[in-house]
Amino acid sequence: MAVRGGTRRARPAGPTTTVPRMHASKRTDVTETADRLHRELMHAAQAGDGDAYERLLRDIVPLLRRYVRWRQGRWSREEIEDVVQDIIVSVHVARATYDPRRPLRPWLLAIARNRVADAARRTAQRSAHETAVDPLPETFSRTETNLHGETRAEILLMKRAIEGLSENQRRAIELLKLQELSLKEASAATGLSVPALKVTVHRAIKSLRATFGRGTP
Amino acid sequence: MNQTDNLIRRLAAGCVGTASLPSPQRRMLSWFAASIPYVALVVLVMSPRPDLFDKVMDTRFVIEQSGALLTALTAAMAAFCATIPGLPTWRLLLPLAPLALWVGSLGQGCLSALFERGTAALKLMPDLICFPAILMVSLLPAILMITMLRRGAPLMPKITVAYGALAATALGNFGLRLFHPQDASLMVLVWQFGTVVILTAFASLFGRRLLRWRHVAAT
Repeated sequence: MAVRGGTRRARPAGPTTTVPRMHASKRTDVTETADRLHRELMHAAQAGDGDAYERLLRDIVPLLRRYVRWRQGRWSREEIEDVVQDIIVSVHVARATYDPRRPLRPWLLAIARNRVADAARRTAQRSAHETAVDPLPETFSRTETNLHGETRAEILLMKRAIEGLSENQRRAIELLKLQELSLKEASAATGLSVPALKVTVHRAIKSLRATFGRGTP
Repeated sequence: MNQTDNLIRRLAAGCVGTASLPSPQRRMLSWFAASIPYVALVVLVMSPRPDLFDKVMDTRFVIEQSGALLTALTAAMAAFCATIPGLPTWRLLLPLAPLALWVGSLGQGCLSALFERGTAALKLMPDLICFPAILMVSLLPAILMITMLRRGAPLMPKITVAYGALAATALGNFGLRLFHPQDASLMVLVWQFGTVVILTAFASLFGRRLLRWRHVAAT
């Protein structure tokens, strides 16, 4: 299978590694019957059958996990799960492009391959902009002893600025910037949509900037 | 895992009926059927060239125009194929044959002129009207193309947009030659085909901006 430009293909090593059987013609675990069933489920999903759709998505998730693990064996479990979720969302978005007269697997794998390549590209870009540095010397585990540049006034200012935010903005900043959750995770935690979260964070940061602008000489 | 389960539940709960997209062939024909009246209208507004009837009998003109038109149709087909996951990639190579016919016929015209008239045939005159004229004729087909492509999966955004732009600009060039009396192969190759190449390359730069996976929350 071709790898798109910029994608690093990492095959996992070791005896426990298993190549997804959906890629080996003789060892396929998704039989013709299963593929026919999936086609019917997708056809029903295109007609608006939510149950069929849920069953289909649940059926393909293990295959997707194995596929992503095979393509990017060095990724952590969380990273693999993130990409699997990306693939599921993409399958949902692109479901109108599926023609029920054609087998489902090539369609599904083309989307999976694309999303894995995108994720690998993002990872490569991110790591290209990161520089490994030695950990800062730590004296005691308490936060106060490990503050190097910040003055007490700055901390108070930040605290006051965050308190001045609306409930939603405070929660969004906490989840996305302090706890460093992904947008999807924060969306699940707050019940807000991803675009709404993005807008909320943007406004919160703007508000914080304004506060700091006022607070600094 | 729980998040994946939640995601699946949310997607399934919000599942509404979605009609399958028509085949790339049918979409290509729809695009062409919607674009050609606009091209005809522009040709009429700009007034068709006075020697159009004679040119229709001219083999070279017919071959060059066929090359442009076939390039437009096959490029449109390739662009639509590129947005369907799992289709064989050989379909993306379809425009190469008519493109070769188009460029080949223009190249052959240049060589014939060189043999007939010597180096005088290689004199290049400015014909800057080609760029805005092709842009004008291909504007609506291009908008239509992008709108249709956005319904598909953005698997190869740059290539898809490049093919879409090639389809629109080749159709624009086809229309241009029906009202712009410029038949010197070198002039056509440099100013008209050059415009097609520049616009196609420029459009492909915006591939990732024009075609991207939309998040489900935004759809």
